[in-house]
Amino acid sequence: MTPPSESETMAVAISREVRDGDTVAVGTLAPVPAAGALLAHLSHAPRATVLIFNHEDYWPFRQGSKEFYDYAQRGNFDLFFLSGGQIDRYGNLNLITIGEHDHPTLRFPGGAGAAMLYYMARRVILFRMDHTPRIFVERVDTVASPGTSPADIVRLGGPWKAVTPLCVFRFDQTTRMLAVESIHPGVSPEALQRRTGFPLELGAAPAVTPPPTREELALLRGRVRESLAKTYPRFAETVFSSP
Amino acid sequence: MPVPGHVGSDYERLRPDFRVIADPYVTGKRVMVVPAIRPDVAIVHAHLADQAGTLLLEEREDDALLAQASRVVIASAERIVPTDEIRRAPSGVRLESLHVAAVVEAPRGAHPTAVRGAYDLDEPHLLAYMAAAHDDVTFKTYLDRHVFGPVTWDDYLAAARPA
Repeated sequence: MTPPSESETMAVAISREVRDGDTVAVGTLAPVPAAGALLAHLSHAPRATVLIFNHEDYWPFRQGSKEFYDYAQRGNFDLFFLSGGQIDRYGNLNLITIGEHDHPTLRFPGGAGAAMLYYMARRVILFRMDHTPRIFVERVDTVASPGTSPADIVRLGGPWKAVTPLCVFRFDQTTRMLAVESIHPGVSPEALQRRTGFPLELGAAPAVTPPPTREELALLRGRVRESLAKTYPRFAETVFSSP
Repeated sequence: MPVPGHVGSDYERLRPDFRVIADPYVTGKRVMVVPAIRPDVAIVHAHLADQAGTLLLEEREDDALLAQASRVVIASAERIVPTDEIRRAPSGVRLESLHVAAVVEAPRGAHPTAVRGAYDLDEPHLLAYMAAAHDDVTFKTYLDRHVFGPVTWDDYLAAARPA
């Protein structure tokens, strides 16, 4: 069997965060979280409610995105996925601008629902398909959605994990910062630190992400890929290895 | 309107029109309120319309909401049909004609984007648009060919066909 690709390792890491019975929703432009949610649903989480944006089998909303956002605002999502142009060690997300806000060097499309979903989904997994010191920074330039909030604001959830091609971070509720939970197989601690823009506590022998099992890879490359092709045809075609 | 979240983000700093108030009803906690958007004009593309301007809109999009927020609604539709056909449609969102100021038949009117169940997006066209948008000269060529050049809708569709 072909060894797992970075995307496959990430999808499997994400799938292991889905609990049976969760309501898990996947927004736009998120094929790897969608693959992870589908994998979980087809393996250890058959009673999960899986919602994947505009997927013909997994998107029940028929009153536009309003229905989706209203449903999310009621705190109905146990698990959601967000990304950012910058993500900092405090779990802050930047989806607005890089540089001086009025004279930015880069302008992103904007926060869209992130500033609500980060508060109202119970557990949020952050994901990036690349891991560089320009993305994982000490402090984001502009905060579209903060990692934590004071107690006088209604906030039901927030950052839970962050999954990248190099590692899994967990969000430490005590320090309120990202901490390395495990490094993916084949990635050295030195490389991980070099490609991260804030200091990491890696210890003498950091944990290694358990690699995908044969069963997980077979499902990913078979039924998950088949289902994902309905909404991410190009991704399904190019990213997964052959069964 | 109140929106959950947002408090503590840079939206507080960047958008002075977004205000933070104490929830007057249940929690007393701080909540962000934002002004409603009232567009002057909404332009929507419908699956079907009748001659009076009754629309059958895509149920997965927010066109019906957008139309009701706007002062004036201009609609195009894949087909103009008898009202009965809109009443019998098994899916879609019906928007009554009293919301609609004008309607025009425009088959493939969503081009280069898609109409669910009718046609897919025109990917080569969108890729060519993205490439053209990189600089002013090539973008002007695009606009001349696809926006300013065509006089009729048929002209537009003819120009949109791959050369």
